[in-house]
Amino acid sequence: MGEHGRTDSYRVATIGPIKDDNRTADGQYKTRRKPPAKKRKPGDLEDLKQELDIDYHKVTPEELYQRFQTHPENGLSHAKAKENLERDGPNALTPPKQTPEWVKFCKNLFGGFALLLWIGAILCFIAYGIQASTVEEPSDDNLYLGIVLAAVVIVTGIFSYYQESKSSKIMESFKNMVPQFATVIREGEKLTLRAEDLVLGDIVEVKFGDRIPADVRIIEARGFKVDNSSLTGESEPQSRGPEFTNENPLETKNLAFFSTNAVEGTAKGIVICCGDNTVMGRIAGLASGLDTGETPIAKEIHHFIHLITGVAVFLGVTFFVIAFILGYHWLDAVIFLIGIIVANVPEGLLATVTVCLTLTAKRMASKNCLVKNLEAVETLGSTSTICSDKTGTLTQNRMTVAHMWFDNQIIEADTTEDQSGVQYDRTSPGFKALAKIATLCNRAEFKGGQEGVPILKKEVAGDASEAALLKCMELALGDVMSIRKRNKKVCEIPFNSTNKYQVSIHESDDPSDPRHLLVMKGAPERILERCSTIFIGGKEKVLDEEMKEAFNNAYLELGGLGERVLGFCDLQLPSDKYPIGYKFNTDDPNFPLENLRFVGLMSMIDPPRAAVPDAVAKCRSAGIKVIMVTGDHPITAKAIAKSVGIISEGNETVEDIAARLNIPVSEVNPREAKAAVIHGTELRELNSDQLDEILKFHTEIVFARTSPQQKLIIVEGCQRLGAIVAVTGDGVNDSPALKKADIGVAMGIAGSDVSKQAADMILLDDNFASIVTGVEEGRLIFDNLKKSIAYTLTSNIPEISPFLAFILCDIPLPLGTVTILCIDLGTDMVPAISLAYEAPESDIMKRQPRDPYRDNLVNRRLISMAYGQIGMIQAAAGFFVYFVIMAENGFLPMKLFGIRKQWDSKAINDLTDSYGQEWTYRDRKALEFTCHTAFFVSIVVVQWADLIICKTRRNSIIHQGMRNWALNFGLVFETALAAFLSYTPGMDKGLRMYPLKFVWWLPAIPFMLSIFIYDEIRRFYLRRNPGGWLEQETYY
Amino acid sequence: MSRNPRMEEFKMDGKPLKRRNFSSMLYNDETGAILGRTPESWGKILIFYVIFYAALVALFSICMVTFLQQFINPRVPRLQQEYSVIGTSPGLGFRPQPQDVRSTLIWYKGTSYESYKYWEDQLIDFLSVYKKKGQTAGAGQNIFNCDFKNPPPKGKVCDVDIRGWDPCIEENHFSLHKSSPCIFLKLNKIYGWRPEFYNDTANLPEDMPKDVKSQILNMTSYNRDYANSVWVSCQGETPADKEMIGPVKYFPYPGFPGYFYPYENAEGYLSPLVAIHLENPKSGVVINIECRAWAQNIQYSRKERLGLVHFEIMLN
Repeated sequence: MGEHGRTDSYRVATIGPIKDDNRTADGQYKTRRKPPAKKRKPGDLEDLKQELDIDYHKVTPEELYQRFQTHPENGLSHAKAKENLERDGPNALTPPKQTPEWVKFCKNLFGGFALLLWIGAILCFIAYGIQASTVEEPSDDNLYLGIVLAAVVIVTGIFSYYQESKSSKIMESFKNMVPQFATVIREGEKLTLRAEDLVLGDIVEVKFGDRIPADVRIIEARGFKVDNSSLTGESEPQSRGPEFTNENPLETKNLAFFSTNAVEGTAKGIVICCGDNTVMGRIAGLASGLDTGETPIAKEIHHFIHLITGVAVFLGVTFFVIAFILGYHWLDAVIFLIGIIVANVPEGLLATVTVCLTLTAKRMASKNCLVKNLEAVETLGSTSTICSDKTGTLTQNRMTVAHMWFDNQIIEADTTEDQSGVQYDRTSPGFKALAKIATLCNRAEFKGGQEGVPILKKEVAGDASEAALLKCMELALGDVMSIRKRNKKVCEIPFNSTNKYQVSIHESDDPSDPRHLLVMKGAPERILERCSTIFIGGKEKVLDEEMKEAFNNAYLELGGLGERVLGFCDLQLPSDKYPIGYKFNTDDPNFPLENLRFVGLMSMIDPPRAAVPDAVAKCRSAGIKVIMVTGDHPITAKAIAKSVGIISEGNETVEDIAARLNIPVSEVNPREAKAAVIHGTELRELNSDQLDEILKFHTEIVFARTSPQQKLIIVEGCQRLGAIVAVTGDGVNDSPALKKADIGVAMGIAGSDVSKQAADMILLDDNFASIVTGVEEGRLIFDNLKKSIAYTLTSNIPEISPFLAFILCDIPLPLGTVTILCIDLGTDMVPAISLAYEAPESDIMKRQPRDPYRDNLVNRRLISMAYGQIGMIQAAAGFFVYFVIMAENGFLPMKLFGIRKQWDSKAINDLTDSYGQEWTYRDRKALEFTCHTAFFVSIVVVQWADLIICKTRRNSIIHQGMRNWALNFGLVFETALAAFLSYTPGMDKGLRMYPLKFVWWLPAIPFMLSIFIYDEIRRFYLRRNPGGWLEQETYY
Repeated sequence: MSRNPRMEEFKMDGKPLKRRNFSSMLYNDETGAILGRTPESWGKILIFYVIFYAALVALFSICMVTFLQQFINPRVPRLQQEYSVIGTSPGLGFRPQPQDVRSTLIWYKGTSYESYKYWEDQLIDFLSVYKKKGQTAGAGQNIFNCDFKNPPPKGKVCDVDIRGWDPCIEENHFSLHKSSPCIFLKLNKIYGWRPEFYNDTANLPEDMPKDVKSQILNMTSYNRDYANSVWVSCQGETPADKEMIGPVKYFPYPGFPGYFYPYENAEGYLSPLVAIHLENPKSGVVINIECRAWAQNIQYSRKERLGLVHFEIMLN
């Protein structure tokens, strides 16, 4: 056993002109990639560049045992282990610092409009207190109102808090899904412990399939390989053994890192770092320290809250002052102030927004997008740039045979996940020979117990490329294992880095031809060197220059596709020289390894997922720029980018143009090249202006060989240009970028815990295509929130205007604070929420992402429509009902003006109306509250029309239809609730709502109809004159 | 594999809007915008809103005018009694009323003219229509000489005899100067309301004050017709108030004559009044007084303030 670095040579074929210089892309030696161990300062990016100074990999094992007081065979003593555990704490990453629950709760209790409502409530209590101390029989109205306001704030606060904690609970369930176990030797005994209980100095055993439980120095290894991809982004498994090979802890072979996976072999090691001190822990710490900023929707909501609060405070203070000037008692002025605040604040709106976002989050979860943070629901909709990791996101993360070259032609193998691609001829002698070599010269085997699993999804023990060959052959030939059994292996030279080939000799399964078969595979140029003939079209030919030329072309072509190429050759050993039972010696080969027969090439790639090209195209047409950012090689990256459409057909990079025109790269005008492939080493030479230029002028960009901090730099660059950036990734190395992005999208299956923690959204099926769903839902919810807010804000005008009329015209109050709350928190809620279910008006994936600086959630046009136009019609409806009821009962309109003082005075028991009737205080108030109820009901009636017109912003309702059943239910619900509030016995005592005569529902009807007709006409003009004046002023 | 044939330019130039300072918000040199809009833009939006609101006002006016013309009679309320919120149980009103509309306290210093002048003026003003009725054009000609046997025909009104209030008359300063003030009570008018009298004097309500009861019995024995009256009583609200209020006299008698009802908004109609004379109220304290009207269809509830009027009096 003990083969090392086999995979390295395979790279030869794929490495492009830029060699890896063992530096990270920002010019630091790779040694410096990781932040220091002790005292991590969150958010300090400089930490990332500092030396990782550990010497555990350099010192001799003996010294290490000494240091940790441990023993390679017996391990730690239980006492020592306990002591260490108490000293260092459990071996787990400290979860990112959580905001304490009560702080979150207080934020909900005092954020948004809550503060304004608290002021209202406190003013109520003050007013009541003063009345109670000055008047003998204070009215309890202010006390009740204060209590109601406080209750409203507390209830909505609790509600949002509940919603928030519910979505964060989803995340917690993720954390503890799979408890990790580790095999530890303590006091000579093998124990299975939870990974958290590991301590420094523990001797652990790791076998393939395990996750490395801590940072470990290897002391024994048998064919041990680890997958470091989540740490460094390199997709190749790396072999690990006891020898110290590199100063750099990340490069040396004798260290394996916490949370990476063992893919092959077994090993024994000593724990050198635990928990947060591990390499993984440091990156996680860096990510959690990054400041993420507000989500776009949070910005929009804050913008909107400021706007509404501004209006409320402005109106409140203005009328407070006006009331003083008009000579009102200051206590009355305070009560006006309360009324204006209550009327101005859409109390239910924030809860509505929360519910709408929750509904969308649920819908997305059912489509495999799990949203951690409610506000992130919308972010994908605003996204204008997606920076996607390659491995595992765009690709299947599974090496697959993509091409074969035999009989002097390249044959495409089927790389699709469901084997729906092209088929090829499996009967030609060339293929048969190639297949035989690929089958026999292969050590990979399927793991047991996977009978029902499709071949491509089966797990394989062995190297990734051998696994690819195994699967390919299993598909082409059927049962590989029985073929291997029939052709018994008699000897084998495994791969090593000096030979760069693997050879094995097999007995023949053909009874008529008992010759041994020698099969060999390896780096193509090395294989070719050992061949003198070539097998073409069933005949053996001399390998002449022409054939070599053909080989080279094929090799270059496949290499150019970013594929890993292997060469195959064989030789029938003459039976006279090598009879059955011949003792083959592998240490000193007593069989030919030259003058073999070349058979062909096979090339492998980690193929793109089937749904990705389509998803990328959809993102494109939705105006979203897709950038690939990967740690992989530029050629592979470019090939995948081309095959998924990130670089579209016909678009060239600067290098392509230079090659085509045969001129040096420096002479090409970079503006001519739409595509760009940028290597990490190039990136580190660039200053931020140059990076901006690249991001601005190239529409199709691939960043290859990037380090974690370069990913961060790219994200920041895009954000600097005003883009809203989504980052997808699965590795720990992606987590800083995930955190920095406006929305980080992690992979649910392949993703590391750290990346999931840093992300805002998790794709449960690891499928890039799910992002498209996210974008669609995000855009839809943004549109629908606009509609919802437009609907809710409209009723503010009929709520405020009664107060203004009350103060300015001295009429009895047409609409009370309690009824306002009934609208905001009762009848308006369900319809506003139901707008979240509204279907899109047009294809939302065919338009540009919204401009975060200009296309606001609540803009001037929306306010103009809601407040200036529809709201005014609604107010007119309310006042009409008010005047109707007053007149029918005896107070003709003209009588009402200036009557307020007497009307509201308890002392006046005989107020005269237009017919000479005299009204007691009690009867007047009953009349007033009847008017409040009627005003309330008429707002409900006009809100019917408002709801229907808010369904669409441009289309006619005839187009849109009434298929939104949630909304239809909303219409019924608000009407039923209004009737309930008006007609339930006892409401006159409780809410001061009085039963209305049926006809009093009717006066609002003409206004309702005119809202509907007005807006249909307006939208008709919008459609007729796109971009016209009306659109500029009223299209929100 | 499918490629995207459409290449669109991506918007990457969405730079943040320049933070404008306050002066450029007022007036922007580059675009000539005042408060964010150019004069042309202001003009257009103003014209739009002028038209919009004109249309809205027109709609509102049409609705209002149609309603007032079609459904409202200026002499007869559209909704009456139990169909109206006003209901069928009238309350009471008192005069004089304090200057502050929120107060019901009649407070003056008994002997000083300056102090009771306000209250006297209030009453003079209130009673002037009762004095002048004969002289006012139009109003006087409707007067019908009513009594219990002759209720007024439709459109005619009954006369209120101001002489019956003596000593509560203007010439006597309504007895204010003697610290024994007169207060006038009236029953609230409700269109079309007819009282159901307590005319069985043998079965007057239990809780009616004794002095009023005896007065009623006295009167009805003299003239049975007086039984068709809406009775009125005043007393202190609490036992202490009842002590301090002293004797209460009613002029012309403790009731409103039944022939004044129903009220049908006839030209010149005047509510009948009852003057109560507090002959010797205790001075220096606030006395809470509750006056009640009595008819079978007048409900009473102190908590709900039904069928009563409350005021306080304080003499120094």
